[in-house]
Amino acid sequence: MTSDSPAQALAAGRAKAPPPASARPGRPGRRNREWVHGLLMSAPALAGLIAFVGVPFGYAVVLSLYNVRLGSPLPPSFFGLEQYRRLFTDPDLSGPFLRALLNNLVFAAVVVPVQTALALGLAVLLNRTLKAIGFFRSLFFMPVVFPMALVAVVWRLILARSDQGMLNSVLHHLSLGHWGAHDWLGSAATAMVSVIALSIWQGVGFQMVILLAGLQQIPAELHEAAQLDRAGRWQRFCHVTLPGIRGTLVFVALLTSVLSFRVFDQVYILIRGGGLNEDATHTVMYEAVTTAFDRNDIGQAAAVTVVFFLIVVVLTLLQRRFVRPDPED
Amino acid sequence: MTRTPLRRTLDYLVLSVLAFIFVLPALYLFLGSFKPSDQVLSGLSGFLPTHLTLHNYRAVLAALDSDSTGYFWHFMGVSLLLAAVVVLGGLVVNSMAAYGLTRLRWRGSSALFALILLLMLVPFEAVAVPLFYLLNGARNTLAVQAVPFVANAFSIYQFATFFRALPVSIEEAARIDGAGPWRTFFAVVIPMSRPVFASVAILTFLTQWGSFLWPVLMVSDPSERPLPLELSVFQGQQPPDWGQILAFGVLLVLPVLIVFAFFQRWFVQGVAGSAVKG
Amino acid sequence: MPVRKRRLPTKSLTGLALALPLMAVTACGAGGTPAKASAGSGSGAITVWGHQGQTNEDTALQKAVRGFNSSQQKIKVKLKLIPQNDYTKTITTTNASELPDVLEMDGPTVANFVYNRKITPITSYVSARTVENATRAVKAEGTVGGKLYALGMYDSGMGLFADKKLLKAAGVAYPTGLSDDWTSTQFTDAVRKLAARDPDGKSLDIQENTGLDTEAGTYQFAPIVWSAGGALLKNGKAAGAIDSPGAVSALRTFQSWKKYTDPNTDGNAFAKGRVALSWVGHWMYPAYHKALGSDLAVLPLPDFGNGPKTGQGSWTWGIGADTGNGKAAGAFLDYLLDDTNVSAMTTANGAPPATRTALAKSPLYKPGGPLRLLADQLAKPCGDTHITSSCVAVTRPVTAGYPAVTSQFSQALNSVFGGADPKAALSKAARAIDQDFSDNQGYKIP
Repeated sequence: MTSDSPAQALAAGRAKAPPPASARPGRPGRRNREWVHGLLMSAPALAGLIAFVGVPFGYAVVLSLYNVRLGSPLPPSFFGLEQYRRLFTDPDLSGPFLRALLNNLVFAAVVVPVQTALALGLAVLLNRTLKAIGFFRSLFFMPVVFPMALVAVVWRLILARSDQGMLNSVLHHLSLGHWGAHDWLGSAATAMVSVIALSIWQGVGFQMVILLAGLQQIPAELHEAAQLDRAGRWQRFCHVTLPGIRGTLVFVALLTSVLSFRVFDQVYILIRGGGLNEDATHTVMYEAVTTAFDRNDIGQAAAVTVVFFLIVVVLTLLQRRFVRPDPED
Repeated sequence: MTRTPLRRTLDYLVLSVLAFIFVLPALYLFLGSFKPSDQVLSGLSGFLPTHLTLHNYRAVLAALDSDSTGYFWHFMGVSLLLAAVVVLGGLVVNSMAAYGLTRLRWRGSSALFALILLLMLVPFEAVAVPLFYLLNGARNTLAVQAVPFVANAFSIYQFATFFRALPVSIEEAARIDGAGPWRTFFAVVIPMSRPVFASVAILTFLTQWGSFLWPVLMVSDPSERPLPLELSVFQGQQPPDWGQILAFGVLLVLPVLIVFAFFQRWFVQGVAGSAVKG
Repeated sequence: MPVRKRRLPTKSLTGLALALPLMAVTACGAGGTPAKASAGSGSGAITVWGHQGQTNEDTALQKAVRGFNSSQQKIKVKLKLIPQNDYTKTITTTNASELPDVLEMDGPTVANFVYNRKITPITSYVSARTVENATRAVKAEGTVGGKLYALGMYDSGMGLFADKKLLKAAGVAYPTGLSDDWTSTQFTDAVRKLAARDPDGKSLDIQENTGLDTEAGTYQFAPIVWSAGGALLKNGKAAGAIDSPGAVSALRTFQSWKKYTDPNTDGNAFAKGRVALSWVGHWMYPAYHKALGSDLAVLPLPDFGNGPKTGQGSWTWGIGADTGNGKAAGAFLDYLLDDTNVSAMTTANGAPPATRTALAKSPLYKPGGPLRLLADQLAKPCGDTHITSSCVAVTRPVTAGYPAVTSQFSQALNSVFGGADPKAALSKAARAIDQDFSDNQGYKIP
């Protein structure tokens, strides 16, 4: 779905406060020296995180309050909340940003249920003891290792709008010549669908593997007991499988929704030179990058970044809330 | 559960059909890379190539073979080097931090760990723009592409989860033998923690290998470009030569596929484990 | 980190808020230190940046650099090619101190780089003969605030490339020059008529594969706005110019062509005979001539009411503001702009040479040459402000705010082609441009 560490968002929701350190027994004499070692051991990583995550994030908040232009000879001037006013309420300038938010929402609204259902379907299909099942699992997982830049290029050719595009050509043959060439990427109606399709193709294996692991933790006895009770396959699915992976399922769905807001690579590549309909597909991250990079407007891009972060935090908090009451394995 | 031969055949059939549909785009990529360019975009009739040729691969290597355009193997080298630095550096730095914060007991360690969990909430995209502005002076260097990604809150979290589950008795024994925290960590804990090192390494590698947003912002010099960025540059060249672009794509994904083929189990465990154990 | 920050007292927060941007300004050098270019020794290594786009141009440039390096011992040029789509922003984001000694720039961006202090005037480094030999149009393009900052190897021009065989087969009559040009209605009719006879129903190519939402999109289709009596910018304002009724109706006509337009994913729609008309610049001439031979005709773009118009200006060469070796940079430019290299480049890309001597020798542009029409168009320049019905070649607005203009216009163009309402799209672009100008205090060159 995105080539940028999907797993990072993944565990964010599961993060729990660490057990209090003092709960463990330890000799007081040791503790005195341990803080030196502990600090030394964690210093490189802490320094890196503060320098490259903490500081820039705080800086984004500051930048968003200024009129800062990349390369301009004018000094930055204080702008107050003007950037946010432009993003949300200005009748002219808010257009592209609000459209980007809407596009992200549409993307999430389709991808979350469809990709989760598809991943679950595949996981159930693959959760059996057949010969070569490992081979099938790898096949479905394989697209996950494809860099998104490459996925975008390959799908650009599949969805090409001439009648020689692969999809158009297949449909032409299937419909016995009734299908005319359709502009999958360029038409406002199908542009988003196209992006969704290629994103799901690349990302579903990831979710599938997580769900598969969840399925494998359901004790086999539960299924056997249900079978003894003459429960049908569908009944077993509803009453044993689903409750057994409820937590994992909710988790996967919320993870997917966070990832939906981080979409960038495929949209960027396909809009630039792929003929993708920009209005119907540009995302919040795309908006942030083009504002900073094409229009040199760092202040506004920082404001977009801050809004983006707030959305991700809300989704992550939701994720925590939903997942927490779940019994741990 | 028992399965009749009929059901088993049916299972295979369903799986095979689905797998075939799923593999088609990848197949399209591989076949296309061996086709003459004018057959890449010739619909269904051109899907199966009439003759296979290595011409595209030779042409990619020939096209990217000068100081001004960059060298293909140089792009590959940059990608490999960045991956090596980010993965290996990340393993050392993040595992050490996880150990120092969760297995050593000192005042403030849990507060710092909580800070890391908090930073885990910030996806890279949320800091890309300010970081781009801050580090603009270091454009077009290898360091700016690698260093910000070595320390990784999620990796620390993964290591911490694993280290917490280790029995305390092991370290006690090491201590009785007179080992300090550093020796205990490097000589006792690391050898016991291969699974978590493998899965962190693989997840980091995948992310780094496909990394695109940051190079787009920070790199323009052909001698510092990683492969995915160069792919997007290469496909923007006019007129586009699709056979060559697909060959480039194969060369980009091949190293990951090879790693994947050899370490499949770790890939799957790495992904699955990070979620379920949490 | 964010949590901590919130606990800080207001006063220190304000202090931080003020200090950080200032720190960044000094750290990034964004405020721009005054140019401190120096002539240097005139020997040693210099770096050169060029844009990477058309394979034939890249090759010609690489050849010129090799030629220079082997022609003398003192100066060694190291060339880097940067993709066209990222080229301008790469220069914008790079500090002057990191910029190369010699850099190529797209014509309309020169004013912006003067404003951002990325380049230095070239007259003290380039020989007087080179400056003397440049065409008037290309000198005008490189002149900002009375100083010459850039010179080009070639100018540019747009035209309609036509496949005579296909036009004849469809019974479509076509203009022979500027005087009997198609009106936009006649052009649309011709496209429709050709499409009706075409097996895939597509008869027009507009180089869609390069993307409309780029500078190339602005260059290709600003002419229809000019030809319809509009402008991109009038007296420093976009409102009332870019969204004038004429411009809106021109873009509506443009929108109606989509169903006849070949997406040209392979870049070969015209050369392979899939379409009869290609709306493109001179740079496709070599490939088209090779594919079509004597069946190739070059027509002016259609007239939307204010006379046919074309864009003008192209890639030009300047010297980095911080160069330590201006003399060597000038020597390289003298070499690059000599007849041999200009002729080699313009033979490769089919462009009108931007030096007097090379233009006079050009077999393509001399009277009776196959691209004479484009030379005629350039001989009737409008400048960037006085777009009358009698002039043809329009210069894109010479302003440091041009990046905002082109970014908004090409975005509007792209969304109109995708189906958006032209009036709404252009008005939005107009307001966004004007807002950007007011945010930057009108981009006054200091």
